[in-house]
Amino acid sequence: MPMQVPWLIFLLPFLSFLMIGLVLRPFLPRYPRLAGYVTIGAVGISCALSFWVLGAVISSPGHMLPVDDIRWAVVGNLEMHIGVMVDSLTAVMVVVVTFISLMVQIYSQGYMKGDPGYMRYYAFMSLFTACMLGLVLANNILFMFVFWEGVGLGSYLLIGFWFHKPSAANAAKKAFIVTRFGDLGFLAAILILFATTGTFDTGEIYKLVAAGTLTGTTLTWVAIGIFAGACGKSAQFPLHVWLPDAMEGPTPVSALIHAATMVAAGVFLVARFYPIFSHSPEAMLVVAVIGAFTAIFAASIGFVMNDIKRVLAYSTISQLGYMMLGLGVGGVAIGIFHLFNHAFFKALLFLGAGSVNHSSGTFDMRLMGGLRKSMPWTYITFVIGSLSLAGIWPLAGFWSKDEILMNAFSNNPTLFVLALITVFMTAFYMFRAVFMTFHGEYKGGAPSEHGDHDEHPQGPHESPAVMVVPLVILAVMAVCSGWINVTGFFNGLFEGDVEGAVHKIGFLEGFFGTLTHPLPLASLLIALAGIFLAFAIYIKKWISAEKITNAVRPLYTLLSHKYYMDDLYENVIVKTFLYNGLFKLFAMFDTSVVDGTVNGTASAASSAGSALKKLQNGQTQVYAFTIALGVVAIAVVVYLFG
Amino acid sequence: MPEITYSITFYLMAAIAVAAALGVIILRDVFRAALSLILLFMTVAGIYLLLHADFLAIVQILIYVGAISVLIIVAIMLTRDARQGQPLGKIKWVAGIVALALIGVIAWGVINTAFYLSSTPPLEETVKPLGNLLFGNPGYMLTSEIAAVLLLSAILGAIAVIREK
Amino acid sequence: MIMEHIQFIAPEISLLCFALLIVLLDLFITQKRVLPVLSVIGAIVAATFIIVIWNTPPVGLFDKMISIDPFGLFFKLLILAATVLVILASHNYVLKFNKFQGEYYALLMLSAVGLMLLVSAINLITIYVALELSSISLYALVSFLKDKKSSEAGLKYLILGGVASAILLYGMAFIFGLTGNTCLTCIAEYVRGMPFKDLQEVPALMIGLVLIIAGFGFKIASVPFQMWVPDVYEGAPTTITAYLSVASKAAGFGVIARVLMTVFGLPVWLHNDWAMIIAVLAAITMTVGNLVAIVQTNIKRLFGYSSIAQAGYMMVGLAAMGLTMGTKENVTGGLIFFLLSYTLTNLGAFIAIIAISNKINSDEIEDYNGMIKRSPLLALGLTICLISLAGLPPTAGLIAKIYIFSGAVNMGLAWLVVIAVINSVISAYYYFKIAKAMWLGTPVTEEKVDASWPEWLALAACVVGVLALGVVPGLFMNLTTAAVRIFGI
Repeated sequence: MPMQVPWLIFLLPFLSFLMIGLVLRPFLPRYPRLAGYVTIGAVGISCALSFWVLGAVISSPGHMLPVDDIRWAVVGNLEMHIGVMVDSLTAVMVVVVTFISLMVQIYSQGYMKGDPGYMRYYAFMSLFTACMLGLVLANNILFMFVFWEGVGLGSYLLIGFWFHKPSAANAAKKAFIVTRFGDLGFLAAILILFATTGTFDTGEIYKLVAAGTLTGTTLTWVAIGIFAGACGKSAQFPLHVWLPDAMEGPTPVSALIHAATMVAAGVFLVARFYPIFSHSPEAMLVVAVIGAFTAIFAASIGFVMNDIKRVLAYSTISQLGYMMLGLGVGGVAIGIFHLFNHAFFKALLFLGAGSVNHSSGTFDMRLMGGLRKSMPWTYITFVIGSLSLAGIWPLAGFWSKDEILMNAFSNNPTLFVLALITVFMTAFYMFRAVFMTFHGEYKGGAPSEHGDHDEHPQGPHESPAVMVVPLVILAVMAVCSGWINVTGFFNGLFEGDVEGAVHKIGFLEGFFGTLTHPLPLASLLIALAGIFLAFAIYIKKWISAEKITNAVRPLYTLLSHKYYMDDLYENVIVKTFLYNGLFKLFAMFDTSVVDGTVNGTASAASSAGSALKKLQNGQTQVYAFTIALGVVAIAVVVYLFG
Repeated sequence: MPEITYSITFYLMAAIAVAAALGVIILRDVFRAALSLILLFMTVAGIYLLLHADFLAIVQILIYVGAISVLIIVAIMLTRDARQGQPLGKIKWVAGIVALALIGVIAWGVINTAFYLSSTPPLEETVKPLGNLLFGNPGYMLTSEIAAVLLLSAILGAIAVIREK
Repeated sequence: MIMEHIQFIAPEISLLCFALLIVLLDLFITQKRVLPVLSVIGAIVAATFIIVIWNTPPVGLFDKMISIDPFGLFFKLLILAATVLVILASHNYVLKFNKFQGEYYALLMLSAVGLMLLVSAINLITIYVALELSSISLYALVSFLKDKKSSEAGLKYLILGGVASAILLYGMAFIFGLTGNTCLTCIAEYVRGMPFKDLQEVPALMIGLVLIIAGFGFKIASVPFQMWVPDVYEGAPTTITAYLSVASKAAGFGVIARVLMTVFGLPVWLHNDWAMIIAVLAAITMTVGNLVAIVQTNIKRLFGYSSIAQAGYMMVGLAAMGLTMGTKENVTGGLIFFLLSYTLTNLGAFIAIIAISNKINSDEIEDYNGMIKRSPLLALGLTICLISLAGLPPTAGLIAKIYIFSGAVNMGLAWLVVIAVINSVISAYYYFKIAKAMWLGTPVTEEKVDASWPEWLALAACVVGVLALGVVPGLFMNLTTAAVRIFGI
C-alpha cells in the first residue's frame, strides 16, 4: 500500500471543506446539492481507502505500518514533524469515522433537504470529518491537540447550526466552554510531557515510557491530565453537562459527532496513550472508577427523560463511561471494541430518532406513539439498535459489553456490580423509549411549533430512501459488528498477533458457546429483565408509571433535574461567581479606574484648554501614580528576593 | 572655593530647589507656581555653576528662565479658567506615601553606592571643548543631528496639532 | 571617517530626506495623492539601503553611538514594513485631515526614523534622543484627529510619556554614575568586572535596572506601565493605533532586549535577576490584558488590551533570551519571530478594521455583525488574523507561540509557560467573539463594505505573510537566528 493513502484519507474531506467554502458557496450558491455530493464523494473515497488501510494493517507484521514522518520546520531547538501513524487503533478508528460519516452524509441529504444552510452544513461536516481523521492519524501530540480543538470547533459550529434558536446558540457555547476545562488538563499534560521529555512524538513517548525514563508521579500527572481532556470530550462526570444540551444541533450531527465519533475521541485519546496509563495503577483506577460511575449515573437520568434525543444522549454518556471502564479494567482492545460496536448502533439510534422527528415533527416521546405502523423500516432498525445497545445475544452490543463485564469481574468486583446494574437500566430506558415512541396510539406529533426543518407533510409517514438505506446498512452492522471478536480476532489485532489469537476457538463454538458460561448468561438475563419491566409498565400497563413516580417523588425530582448538576454550574458557578463576581470586577476596573475619561463631556475643538481640563479629573494622575507604585514595588521585590 | 563653603552653598541651593519644586505642586495659584518654577530653574543653574559647568548654567538661565518660563506665563495669562488651579487630587495621601517610598528607594540607592569619580580636574574653559564634543568626531555629532530632527518633528507636530479644524 | 560611516545610516538619512521633501512639496502641490506615493518610495529606498548593507560585519559607528548589525537591521526592516503598510492603509483615512496630509506622512516617517535609530543605538544618549524623536512625532500623530477623544489621548500620551522618559533617564543616570560611561559595551565591560555576587550589593545598578525596565516597560506596555494603552489606542486615529501597536512596540522590544542583553547580560546572577523580573511581569501583563479584554465592547479598546496580552507573551521570550546568556544554548530567537508574526498579524487585523470602520463609522463589535455578508474578503482577512492572534493553526501565531514557549520551557520557565498557555486559551474567547459576530451575526444593513486598492494590497500582504509564516516557518528561521546571534558569546 502506498504511503500516501493515510494522508489522502485526511486530505479528501479537508479538500471537500475548502471546495465548498471557497468555490461552491461563493460562486454556485444556487446549487446547494453539489455540496452534498462533493462531501459524500470525498468521504466515500476516504472510507474505501480506510478499509484498504485496515486490510494492510491486518496483513502487516505486528499490525502496524511504518510511520510516515516529514520534518516540517525547525523552531529554535525544537524540530517540528508532521506525520501519520497507522497501527491497529488508527485503522479501526478511521474505518469507524469514515463509515459512520458516509452514512450520516447520505442520510443528511434527506434530513437537511431545503434547509437554507445546506451548504454551510456540509462544509462544517467535511471540516469536522477531516479534523477527526487528523486526530486519529497524527503521530504527534501537538498536532493531535490541534485537531482535538478542531473537532471541538466543528462540534461548536454544528451544535449552534441553527444559531437563530437561542437554545442552540447557548448549547453550543456551553459545549465549547465545558470541554475547555478538560482541554486545560490535556494541555497541561502536553506541557509536562514536553518539559520532561522534550518531544511531542507519540512513538518517542512510547519508547520513553517503555524504557522507564518517564515514571512515577510525573507519569501519573500526565495520565490524569490526558484523562481530564478525555473527560471533557467524552462527557464523563463531572464534565458531562454539555452533551445533552448539544442535542440542539441537527440530528445527523448528533449521530456523527455526539454519539459515534467526537465523543469517542476521549476514549481514543486514552487508548492512544495507553502505555502511559498502564504504567500508572492510580491513573488506571481513576479511569475505571470515573467510567463506571458515569455509566450508572447517566443511565439513571435516562430513566426519566421524555425527549428521545436526550434519552439517547444520556445513554451515550453512560456507554462512554462503559468504554472508559473497559479501558481501565481491561485494555485498549476491550474499550475500543465497545467503541467500535457502539458507533454503529448509536449512530443508528440517532438517525432513527431523526427519522421519527422527520415524520412527527417532535422529539417529545409523549407526543408520539404508534409509529411502528407508519414507519416500519425505522421501527425495525430502531428496535435492532435498541436490542444491540441493551446487549442482547447475538447482537453487536452483547459481545463488547460482555468482555467489559468479564474484565471488571476479575479486576474490581465493586465496579462490576455497578456495571451490571447499568445493564439492567440500559435495557429498561431503551425499551421505554421504543414502547413510548412506536407502540400504543399516535398522539399527534408536534402540536404547533415545527421541528428542525421546514418541510414536513402532515401525518406520520416513512422517511425517504436516502434516509432509510443508511438506517438499514447501520442495522446490519449493529447486528454483525460484534462477531468480529467472537474468535478473538479483534483482541488479536490490538495485541499485535491475529494469527495467535484466532485459532484458539472456532466461530460457531464461540458464537453459541458463550451462552454456556454463567457471566454472559447472567448479563443477558438481566438485560431481558430490564426489557420485560419496560414491557410491563409501558405496554401491558400492569404497573402504572405514574404510581411509581409518585411513590418515589423526591428521587424522580432529583433525576429529572439531572442531580442539579446543571443548576450548580449555571446558577452558582457561572452566574453568581463569574458574572456577578469576577466579570463585574473586571468591568468595574475597566470603567471606573481605566475608562473614566473617555466619556468626558467637553468638546475639545481647537482649544487645548478644555483638553487640559479633562486631565484634571484625576485619570492621568492615577496612571502616573501606578507607574511610580510599580517602580517601588519592583525595586522592593528585587531587593527582597533578587 | 574652600570645601566647607562649597558644601554650604550646595546644600543651600539644593534645599531651595526642593522647596521650589514642592511649591510648584502645592501652590494653588498657577501663576505663583510658575514663579516657583523659575526659582527652581535658577537654583539648578547655580548647582551647574558649582559643578564647573558654567556654559550649561548660562544656557539653563537663557532657555529655561528666559524662554520657557516666559512662554508658560504668557500661556497662563491667555487662559481664563486655568489661573485658579485645582486642589490636589483624591489620591493625594496614597500618592504622597508612594512618592515618599520612591524617594526612599532612590535615596537608599544613592547613599549605598560608590559612584564612579573622574580623576581629571575640571576644565577651566568649557565652551570650546563642549562644542568640539557636540559637533566633532569622536563626539556626539550624530546625537546632535538627531536632536535637530527631533526639534523639526516637534515643530511639525505643533503646527498640525494647533491647526483649525 | 565620517563619510565612511554615513553609508551605514543611509537608510535613516534617505527616509528623512523623503520626509522633508514631502513637507516641502505639500506647500506647492494640490494633488495630495502624490504624497503617500513619495512616502512609500522613501521607505522602499531605505529598505534597499538596508538590504545593501545587510551582510556587513557588525560595526559600531560614530564613536560607538549606533551599531550596524543583523539585529538592528532586522528591526529596521520590520519598522519600514509596518510604516509602508500603515501608509497604504491610510489611503482613505487621511481624507479626514484634508490640508494636513503632508504633515501626517512626514511625522509618520520621522517617527520611523526615530524608531530605526532606536533599535540600532548602542549608547544611552543616542537611545534617549532617538526615543524622544519617535515619541514626539507620535504624540502629535495621536492627537491628529483633533476631536475630543483624540486630543485627550494625545495629551495623556504626552504627559505619561514624559513621566516614563524621566524615569528612564533617571535609570540611565544611575548607570552612568556607577560606571562613568554611556556606551553600552563599555558599561557591560565594567559590569562584568564587578566583584559582586548579588544585585543588593550594587544598589545603583539595581535601581538603574528597575528604572530602565520601567521606562521601556511604558513603551512595550508591560503591566504596571500599561495604563495609557487603552485610552490612547481608542482615541488615536486608527492608522496610528495600528502603528503604535506594532512598530513602536517592536522597537521598544528591540531596544530593551539590546540594553538588557548587552549591559546586563553577564554575569549570570545579573541576567537571572532581570529575567525573573521580566518573567513575573510577563505573567501579570498577559493575565491582566486578557481578562480585561474579555469585557470590552469597543474593538479598538479590545485590541489595546490584546496588545498588552501579546506583550506579555513577548516578555516570556525576552526572559528566555536572558536566561540563555552564558549557557551553551543558542540565544533563542523566539521573541524576534514572535514580533515578526505579531507585526503582520496585528497590522492585518487593523487594516481590515480601518477599512470597515471607515465605512460603518463605528468601533463597536456589535456593528461588525454579519460582516461576512457585507464584505466577505475583509471579514475573511480579519478572521485569519484573529486566528493567528489566538495562536491557532495554520497561521504564524501558532508557530510564534510554540517558538517562544518551547524556548522558555528549555530554560526552566515551565511555570510561566503554563500561565501563558492558559492565557492563550482565555484569549481565544474574545478573538472568537469578533469572528463570531462577523460570521454568524445578523447584519444591521445589507450595505456592502469595500476597501480601496492600497488597503487591499496591504491586507493581502499581511494575510499572505501570516499564512506563509504559519505553513513554511522554516524559510524565516535563519533570519531570526541570525538577528539574535550577536548576543552570543
